[in-house]
This record gives sequence, structure tokens and C-alpha cells, in this order.
Amino acid sequence: MRLYDDVLKGLSALLPPAPAFCAAFDPKNAAKDGEKDQILFGSDTAFELGGGGKASVCGVLFADEPQTDEVLLYGPDLCEIRTDSPFAHFTVARLTGETEDAASYEDLQTVGFTVFQVYPEGYHIRVSPSTGRERVRVAKAALRQTPPLSFLNVGTSLIKAFKAHPGVAAVRTVYITDPDVDYMTLADLAARARDITAAVKHTLETGDLDCAACKMKPICDTVEGLRDLHFRKEQKK
Amino acid sequence: MEPIIFAFAGKGGVGKTSLSAAFIRALTARFPDKKLLAVDADPAVGLLTALGAEPELTLDDVRMKIAESIDRGDTADAVALLGEARFHLLDCILERGNLSVLAIGRPEAAGCYCKVNAYLKQVLETVAGNYDFVVIDGEAGIEQINRRVMETVTALVLVSDGSRKGVQVIKTICAVASRLMSPKKTGVVFNRVSPAFDPEKIEDLPPVLALIGDDKNQTENDMRGDTVFSLPPDAPVLAGAEKALTTLLEGTPYALI
Repeated sequence: MRLYDDVLKGLSALLPPAPAFCAAFDPKNAAKDGEKDQILFGSDTAFELGGGGKASVCGVLFADEPQTDEVLLYGPDLCEIRTDSPFAHFTVARLTGETEDAASYEDLQTVGFTVFQVYPEGYHIRVSPSTGRERVRVAKAALRQTPPLSFLNVGTSLIKAFKAHPGVAAVRTVYITDPDVDYMTLADLAARARDITAAVKHTLETGDLDCAACKMKPICDTVEGLRDLHFRKEQKK
Repeated sequence: MEPIIFAFAGKGGVGKTSLSAAFIRALTARFPDKKLLAVDADPAVGLLTALGAEPELTLDDVRMKIAESIDRGDTADAVALLGEARFHLLDCILERGNLSVLAIGRPEAAGCYCKVNAYLKQVLETVAGNYDFVVIDGEAGIEQINRRVMETVTALVLVSDGSRKGVQVIKTICAVASRLMSPKKTGVVFNRVSPAFDPEKIEDLPPVLALIGDDKNQTENDMRGDTVFSLPPDAPVLAGAEKALTTLLEGTPYALI
């Protein structure tokens, strides 16, 4: 799938040349599951990623990579962070099936929603789908345990959740806590990814062939392959 | 352990909010290590004032944000809406140590409160399990009982003054609640009653938890705009709240030994 290639390139260009770590997926590293409705209280929180008015970004994109599941971190790990910090989190998923087949696109949004549905213990994630913000309260207790909770643990939990979808072949989850990264541009890239997913959904759900009257036109005009997808689908009918 | 959820209901103007606040003060004093959620479910938002709390957002603010995002066509999917609601919910909960405060807010638009009441019900179901105690200062009248906002309440505290109207309202609430709720305990607190007031003369009342006379401490506190935590320890409203609390906790793991 090439629809998100520009976003992926933009993301690579913004990040430092080498991550702080890159670990292959091993389900043994997953964080302990917490409860869905559990609140991490302020008094039990060590810090909030993306809290205190700091940048917070969440993006999900689909591509022809990665080949294998992996967790990447750019910046300090959880045990090295002391206060509310800027935070970005991107997930890149490769789907099974032929990318030419419109059916393989149908689940993009469903798969993307997985980021709302992971509940590692001591790591209270909240994502705003409308603004693309992701804020995470990290428990004092989770950092005191041996070994302390890490991005490897929560990233592994996320990959496990993504891979529960049969259409997902491989997942890369990228955590960014490096204070020197350009978070504003990361937010733009995440918004771009959301727009593309919304345009694909619109394309597949509507039979609207009048591009001039379609609200997705500005996106289709600039994303290579999106309009092809739409008209190919219509031709198949 | 399941939380104990107390809900206060009654006619408007009988001192329901003052008693809720006093009850919260009594609970925080008796169980300083337990987590308590105070819910101002009355659009008049008096409990916030009584507790000296001002959350960043109210539930109605959140509901409006979600409604706006639907109007913009951003997030029509149910999973996304749930994510959006969960994102903002923490900003509605003001934490002060083990006491958290959550307010329904005051919808600016004219009309009914059905939507925000429905949202409140969902929120209560979601967050209550994080607390040991939840105290809900309900809206005057029976709307929130009718809307089953308080369906999961453990103890229903009906508040009335000595007036016939006040008593009639709590009887109506009691009748509706018996059909739509299943509280383990229901009781009445009579507030601002004269020494001659005798609840025994009123038929078909649930058990009386406390009788509170005129409380000039409370009146002066309200006039100064002070919080419930400024009341002197011997204020009658605090004594009444303590008495009601003791009775309601009987038979629970929190009962006084």
C-alpha cells in the first residue's frame, strides 16, 4: 500500500538517524493487562506523556512495511523521564492481502482504532480521535517495579492487539519522547494520515463519482493512488 | 470491592446540596485513605461551590465537544466516540487527594437535560469502580430517577424540610425509585425542621436517618461563600450527616465497630 508513503517519508525525515532502541516483537515482553475502565489518579501518576500542555501526537498508517514486528523508541525511556513530556506515537501496519484489492482497505479504520483499546497496567492511554492527541499517565508503581515498565512492554502489548486482527501482517510501533523532535510537523503528519484513512473509508462507503462535489477532493488530489482506488472499485461493480 | 454509591434527592430548596456536602466531609474525615467521588448532578452546580471545587471541564462540556465532532463529520464511529469521551473524561475529574469531584455542568442551550443525564449514567457506570465511595447530589425532583441515572445506587437519601410539599416530593421519588432502582437502603433526612416536628405523624415514610434543625452556621457559611470544610465541627448539619452516614454504613465493611 502506497497511500501513506509521503507520511512515512516525512516521519523518517523528522526522526534522528538511529533510534534509542529497536527491538523485535516478543510476546513475552508484553505489559500486564490492566482493566478497561481503570483510572490512574493524579496522585498515583509519576508523569503524563503529552500532559501539562506538552505536545501529544498519535498517528496510524498503513504501508508495505515493516517486514517484521518491531518496537522503536526515539528519546528517553519511561524510567528516564521525570516530568510531563512531549510525546508522539506512530503505528505503521502492513496488511495481508493484495494491495490492489479494495477489500484489503476496508478494515483500515477498524484496525486503527486498536490504539484506543489497549490497557497496559500502569500506563493509562487516552486518545482523541478528533484531534489525534495521545496522552498517557504513567503510574509511579509501574516505574518502581523491577524491571520498571518500559516502552518495549507497552509497544509489545500494542502489537499483540494489532495482530489480533486477521488482516494485519506486521506492525511497527514508534514512540517518540526526544524533546528536540519537531512535534508540530509530527502532528501535521498524523493529521494527514487520518485524512487519508477517512478518504479511503469515504471512497469505499460511497458511490460518489463526482469528484468536484466531494469533500475528500483536496485529499484525493494530493495522495497518489487514492482516486485510482475509488474508480477501480466502481468499475468492479 | 464494589463502591458504595449514595445519592441525595428531594425537592429543590430543602438543603439537599448542603447535606450532600456535609456527608462528603463526614466520609473524607472518617475514611481519609479511601477514594471518594463527589458528583454534582444538579445543573445548579451548588455542590461545586460547597466543596470549593472548579473542574476544568464539566460533563456537558465533553458532551458538546463530542457532538461538535459528530457535526463536523470527524468521528461518527461508535468506537471513536467512546475514545473521544474517554480522552476528555479525566479532565472533568478534579482530584484533591483522595477526593475527586465531577460535575454535570449547566447546559447553555434551553430545553431538557436528557442527553447529559444519559451521558452521566454512562460515565458513572464507567468510573464508579475506581472509587470506594460515590456521593451524588442529584437534581431536584424525579427526572434523574426516571432516567435511571441513579440505577446503580446503593443508598438513596431523601431530603425534605417539614413542609407538606417536601414530604410529597420524597414520597413520589420513593415510589418511582421502588420501580426503577434497587437501592439496598433508603432513608429520609429532615432538614431545617422545628424542634416540635414529629416524623412519626407522617405515614408511609422510609426510615428516618436524621433530623436537623435550623443551622445558623450553615446559613452564615453560605452567605460568606465559604465551603463545607469551614463549618465548625459542632454544626447541626454535620451532626445530621454523621448520624445518617453511620446508619447507612451498618451492615457494610465500613460500619463502626
